[in-house]
Amino acid sequence: MAPKKKEEPKPAAPAAPKPPEPEPPKVRFPSVSDFKDAFQLFDRTPTSEMKITYAQCGDLIRALGQNPTNAEIMHVLGKPKPEDMQTKMLDFDQFLPIHQHICRAKDRGTFEDFVEGLRVFDKEGNGTVMGAELRHVLATLGEKMREDEVEQLMQNQEDANGCINYEAFVKYLLSS
Amino acid sequence: MGCGVTKSDQFHKQSGKAVTTIKAAVLIQRWYRQYVARTEMRRRYTWHIFQSIEYSGEQAQIKLYNFLGYLMDNFTPSSNERNLISHIFRENEVCRDAEWERYFSYENIEVPDIYSGPHLTFPLTVEQAFGLVEAFRNKKQLHSRYVLQLLLETWKLLRMLPNISRISTCHSKEITICGDLHGQLEDLLLIFYKNGMPSLENPYVFNGDFVDRGRDSIEILLILFSFLILYPGDVHLNRGNHEDHIVNLRYGFTKEVLTKYKLHGKRILKLLQKIFSWLPLATVIDQKVLVLHGGISDTTDLSILTRLDRHTYISALRPPKKRHMSSATASIDSDMDDDIWSANRMSQRRASLTYPKPIGTKECFHNRSLQDFSERIRANIEALEMCKRQVHAHAQAQDQAQAQAQTNSPISSSDVDSVSLSCESIRSYTAKDEWRQILDLLWSDPMTQDGCIPNEVRGGGCYWGPDITEDFLLRHNLQLIIRSHECKQDGYEFCHNRKVLTLFSASNYYDVGSNRGAYVKMGPDLVPLVFQYQASNMTRELTVRQSVGRTERSALKVLREQLFAHKSDLMSAFKKFDSDNTGFVPLNDWASAVESVMHLDLPWRMLRCQLVTCKTTSDGMIDYYEWFSELAIKGHKDTDHIDQSLLETLYRHRSTLETIFRMVDTDNSGFITIEDFRQTWKLLSVYLKMEITDEAISDIAVTIDSNQDGSIDIDEFMEAFRLTDKKSRLERGRSMFMVTATDLTKLEGDPNI
Repeated sequence: MAPKKKEEPKPAAPAAPKPPEPEPPKVRFPSVSDFKDAFQLFDRTPTSEMKITYAQCGDLIRALGQNPTNAEIMHVLGKPKPEDMQTKMLDFDQFLPIHQHICRAKDRGTFEDFVEGLRVFDKEGNGTVMGAELRHVLATLGEKMREDEVEQLMQNQEDANGCINYEAFVKYLLSS
Repeated sequence: MGCGVTKSDQFHKQSGKAVTTIKAAVLIQRWYRQYVARTEMRRRYTWHIFQSIEYSGEQAQIKLYNFLGYLMDNFTPSSNERNLISHIFRENEVCRDAEWERYFSYENIEVPDIYSGPHLTFPLTVEQAFGLVEAFRNKKQLHSRYVLQLLLETWKLLRMLPNISRISTCHSKEITICGDLHGQLEDLLLIFYKNGMPSLENPYVFNGDFVDRGRDSIEILLILFSFLILYPGDVHLNRGNHEDHIVNLRYGFTKEVLTKYKLHGKRILKLLQKIFSWLPLATVIDQKVLVLHGGISDTTDLSILTRLDRHTYISALRPPKKRHMSSATASIDSDMDDDIWSANRMSQRRASLTYPKPIGTKECFHNRSLQDFSERIRANIEALEMCKRQVHAHAQAQDQAQAQAQTNSPISSSDVDSVSLSCESIRSYTAKDEWRQILDLLWSDPMTQDGCIPNEVRGGGCYWGPDITEDFLLRHNLQLIIRSHECKQDGYEFCHNRKVLTLFSASNYYDVGSNRGAYVKMGPDLVPLVFQYQASNMTRELTVRQSVGRTERSALKVLREQLFAHKSDLMSAFKKFDSDNTGFVPLNDWASAVESVMHLDLPWRMLRCQLVTCKTTSDGMIDYYEWFSELAIKGHKDTDHIDQSLLETLYRHRSTLETIFRMVDTDNSGFITIEDFRQTWKLLSVYLKMEITDEAISDIAVTIDSNQDGSIDIDEFMEAFRLTDKKSRLERGRSMFMVTATDLTKLEGDPNI
């Protein structure tokens, strides 16, 4: 493991606002330093400059627990051109407000939302959907997934008849 | 990943339903992408954990070795520790070629009729080599007679090879290059299956680290050597940092051989020691592509590497032995140097009386890399030159007097002296240089920044940057460096503007599903074509999510154990942040404290929820006392009376402890005497700079020597303190306790091997 250029020792991050040291009893928000660790894991610059590409921004936000749509990410990045995605960079201070913005968005999707959404495909109303149909939808509608992504998601979920019990499926999705 | 929304009217007639459908799809897709990103994150930090621990293990090994070397140089001869260490370095063995031949003789070893493994006759044939592969695939073991025979043939061949093999892809031959195998036979078999066995039309280069950690290291060696003997012009082996008997003591190969070959294992290991030292250092393809195990440094010079006597570096970890002036008369075998070494020791003895102060403080070796330590050794050696020459002159004078008395031939001792002086001093300078060349070659890693700095993480070699690569390639008129030494998730990785390629051929190295293996094919166009694979049926059955989960759990388990082993230091660190002694620290402080003790450069905040499962308070404070009790590793019930901090120390240094035990166990019986056990502890207490009372040692000894017969079963000892964990693969390699239940039943019954 090659040495990285070390950032100044945590937790001093002068630019970003840091919640005050805990005094009892106060709800503690995730601090900026928490995100810094994750940011560093995604930093692939040759000299560890603490920068990520636009293309990585979405992944990082998701890794931190949000699940925005691709459209939302594009919007918050200022609708960049496709060729900019791999070349334009963000440093940590630019990333923070973007992440904050996504965090504030509502409608994240609860268990019921999922189940209701899948019920649409439940033709017989028996709690199962056809795996093939679901695969088709995921690959052709909304923010399409690639075939290998669909495969990864659906791996080992269908029963012998190619059906999926969707409540169980959603529980499985939400549990990882 | 598209951003648009397609029309879906054909799919659902009612537009309301269409909207819901799309919403549902988007929800799942969104969720899925989050899952992928999080999985990637987990994979990355899991990787970091394994790698940090692996490299810190290597560093510990080198530190231990430095320490023992330091003791060798500084202890007065009367101390018991010195005898112990002499054991370890086995400097007492002085043999000539004829004696070695007798020692390695296999002719008297009989192969019993009931032996069901393969039989070899020499000269070896292709059918026999194939038969050997097949036999190993079927879990057979080669009889020690044939092993010795095969190794002797290999030794003879290797001695004729140059330090750097130069090969070409003429006649449209494609060369296959493989990286680290680490005793994983399954991967080698997979490569042969996909790519064919080595032959005149199918040349191979194997880039070192054939042994250690995996469980079939000896089988891999035997296969590679067979093909080497069959096709010496088309099979090329490079030495890796694990082709080194010192490293093997810790990482499992020594133990594997002694377990599989109870009767003749020691001899086999000794012969392998020589073979390893005779392995070529690098291979150059078409004068353009350099293949070597570790890497380069800013001083790497192929011309020096071509010239040096590679076999004098039995272990890359040892500074060079002193060479005798009349090397022309030296046997091919370098062990004649043992004579000189003992003479040197004699003069050192004098030195320790005249220079009673040791080289440096005891603390110094802990913070140094190998190069720094060697500076001190060199300084010491040079100081001792004086003494040695005095001794030498004295001996010469005596001989001369005798000779003159007998033959009347005038030999001026001062002449001899001055020649020896200049030769010696030149040699001692370049010897150290040469040693550094080899060390860098076998242990270095590339880094992203420019420049060249010592590799403190591993403890040997250096980190080299893209500018060094550029310069090196230019100077030697090369275009690509292919190296191994580092595990990569995809089995390979380019860096330094694609001028350096890392190739790793042991899949599932850290755990099942952790990484793929890869090999490279290269034709006359010298464009590397990478082929990936992953051995093991298990991986295919696990879903991606499951295999990441497994590896992650494994890594976290190892990490928790490491944390527990550093409990005292962590406690002190926490107390510094918690001056009011409330027993709580905020998350940030927790993370800083942990990093300051562990030095693993891990994302502790991210790992916090996995590592600290006890509840944190609503404002995010961590109760560290409770955390420690959560982490605690319970010892055997019999060890409850043993001091907790001693237990913790034991646990932290268990690899070192076991390494020393194995060194001390010179007859390889698995038992050491109580006296040796005590000596070992004394050694360890000096190394660890801690007080271990005689009483504490006796306590431990009594606990383990349950039948009171004065000897201690090493394996039982390690087990009793829960110092080994059979399940974790990483731990298996590190603690050398690799044998699982099934292996035991396989090996136990066969006295004939």
